[in-house]
Amino acid sequence: MKRAREAEPSEERPAKIRRVPAVDRLSNLSDELLVRILSFGTVSTLLTVQRVSKKFGRIALDSELWKAAYYNQFVLPRASRISGIKHAKDGGASGYLRYSSKLSRWLDDGHLVKRGSTNWKHQYRLRYNWARGKCAVSEIVVADRPPEPPLLVMMQHGLIYTADSMSGLRVWNSKDGREIIASTALVDLETTAARLPTAMAVDSSAKGGVKQKVVVGFEDGSFAIYALEREEGNLITLFNHPSSSNGMLSAVAYSSPYLLTMTEDHIVSLYSFQGQEQAVSNPLDPPKLLYSLRSHTAWPPVSLSLRTNATSMTASIAYALPTYLSGWTVGIQEMRLSHTGDLLASRLATAADGYFQPVTGRPSTLSSHRTSPTSQPSSSSSSSSSSSSSSTNNTSPPSPHQPTSMSYSHPYLLVTHPDNTLTLYLVRSTSSSLSIGAGTRLWGHTSCVSGAQVGGRGKAVSVSRLGDELRVWDLEGGFSSSSSSVSCFSFSSSSTVVSSAVRGRRGADGDFSVRVQPSKGRLFPASAAVGGEGVGEGDGAGHESSPSSLRESYYAGGLKFALEQKHGFDDEMVVNRGWVGFDERNVVVLRERRRAGGCGDGGDGCEGGGGQQALVVYDFA
Amino acid sequence: MASTDQQPKSQQKLILTTSDDHDIEVDRDVAERSILIKNLLDDFGPDAEIDKIPIPNVNEAVMKKVIEWCTHHRGDPPASQDDDTDNRKKSTDIDEWDQKFMQVDQEMLFEIILAANYLDIKALLDVGCKTVANMIKGKSPEEIRKTFNIQNDFTPEEEDQIRRENEWAEDR
Repeated sequence: MKRAREAEPSEERPAKIRRVPAVDRLSNLSDELLVRILSFGTVSTLLTVQRVSKKFGRIALDSELWKAAYYNQFVLPRASRISGIKHAKDGGASGYLRYSSKLSRWLDDGHLVKRGSTNWKHQYRLRYNWARGKCAVSEIVVADRPPEPPLLVMMQHGLIYTADSMSGLRVWNSKDGREIIASTALVDLETTAARLPTAMAVDSSAKGGVKQKVVVGFEDGSFAIYALEREEGNLITLFNHPSSSNGMLSAVAYSSPYLLTMTEDHIVSLYSFQGQEQAVSNPLDPPKLLYSLRSHTAWPPVSLSLRTNATSMTASIAYALPTYLSGWTVGIQEMRLSHTGDLLASRLATAADGYFQPVTGRPSTLSSHRTSPTSQPSSSSSSSSSSSSSSTNNTSPPSPHQPTSMSYSHPYLLVTHPDNTLTLYLVRSTSSSLSIGAGTRLWGHTSCVSGAQVGGRGKAVSVSRLGDELRVWDLEGGFSSSSSSVSCFSFSSSSTVVSSAVRGRRGADGDFSVRVQPSKGRLFPASAAVGGEGVGEGDGAGHESSPSSLRESYYAGGLKFALEQKHGFDDEMVVNRGWVGFDERNVVVLRERRRAGGCGDGGDGCEGGGGQQALVVYDFA
Repeated sequence: MASTDQQPKSQQKLILTTSDDHDIEVDRDVAERSILIKNLLDDFGPDAEIDKIPIPNVNEAVMKKVIEWCTHHRGDPPASQDDDTDNRKKSTDIDEWDQKFMQVDQEMLFEIILAANYLDIKALLDVGCKTVANMIKGKSPEEIRKTFNIQNDFTPEEEDQIRRENEWAEDR
């Protein structure tokens, strides 16, 4: 009403009309037509138009526009990178892949489409920030001193699970607030003595529902399954398995109803919980032991995983393996079982390292390390003779160091090394065979890589032990031989923060990483004094600079860090504890702060390395 | 299909009556670039005698322009009925003839867009929308307002607020 009244007088005054002869025909178009016009604009046009007027501000936020932008920016380049999809439909493949609100192939983003109420602009921003390594940082203090055994952390569906002997099992919200949701003490029900958690896994079959299940393995060989009631803030015990003479559980994997455990002595057991799929909060009946084997070849680190399909279930153990020649490779033991518990296949494969591709212009780190081969006992590797493709080619050896961590999410097996690199293996598992492709070395870190995790969409995050270096990798396309599919990768424009070292090699192996940079000003103050952190801040301020200067500033920071360490002032030292987890929005790193040298504030916690532990949350939203 | 004795469709003439009461004669296949007219004719069936079709939303000047476009594009493959098969080119590329065709004042440009929308001529609508999109591209909010005489109804604070919200995408 008010607007109409305002418009009238101006129409009555011809002088004014003459002064502004043209009318605003654009704004008079229907919303539908304006959306159609803006659909031909880029994202930056959308963001500009948003500021033109209130009407445009509303229309430029139209969900369909952002959905299309999301598709064209993130889904389509990926679809054309993944072999098979491109040629899935003869002839009309290009039209088939083009965005259309009903017919598009959404790959793993289908859930966003189905959800209906997706804020596409928000999703676009999230993916955009991931691609550029831009995030805000906050931290959750989880322990005042490192618990023994070390704190266990898992992350899934926006929840962070931690388990330690002092504080028990706790669940945190990784999204806004980062508050604790639920906790329960880990005690023996009879003796009320604290149980020592040594392994943890979250039910990977749950699709982000209300009730999440988590299994915790203990030092005495027992394990317990808990269900989270998120609304009520409760963790209820579903099942308690008695302790076992087989010893400490070193790893578990859980995909309801299957549970895979591995002990310190490499005894692998596969359990199945039957008949209580529906009632989530009811206690579980004791599981049936489906399969058990003792592995003689597995060396830590190991990564257990379970995946199911319509007809069978696959339990796999990825592990490190010392080789005769020099150093370490990886192996996978895989068991395929039918859902009724019959063993279909049990097989073993080790990585074929004969085609480990040396890349021209590679830094000399590898060769310098090779002059001091590790003294790992290689005698035990004789047990690997059963492998189908053991290495016979020493022209290009695997890593000389025992890996620091391993993450296997089929088909990607990502291994981290102390020599600042990661190795990516592609696992092929068909009904008839299992094989591991030649490793591809990933470069980019500037200190010992202590942890990595592979997640959905072939995305991986790795963290180095010292400082504040976190890298986001896109593993897809690393295997694509077609260079054109790499070049259509929209993140690889020169303005991204990919370091020059990585970019230089991208042509050869097709992968790259983005170093994560906390946005300036939002850095948490507690560790900003540390050298590594300071560099992160500096990068944030000067990220328009050329990649080479970015690297220089980084090395300068490393030097500063080293100096501080040497002088032993009461500066805090930050050590990443080798665990990293991520979901759609956040990356979480477990970090330990240590007091080096004398105590600054005469307080507690300055004894030999014991310091506060915190989960550092990198928020990409 | 039964009209074997009739002259070929393309030879048929139709008369369109514009909003300002002018009759324009046009070949049937040219007029059928408009899905609105095509559906109308289909509804009447092949045997119906239709001499005049009133087009109450389009005036003579605009209609002539639209017919000019349809005549040039009469040989194009028929437009798909389904709006969702977004096979239209995503880019803002416009072919040369269409670019020249669209070199009109803003009033005519928007009239063509409205007419194309009303007559349901997808390809022409897209050409019009792309032309406008190209006029927006690369301009600042203030330049866009100037180009289209848009009143800024944001307070400076509101505008700044949006600018800050969108800062994440600025350093490209």
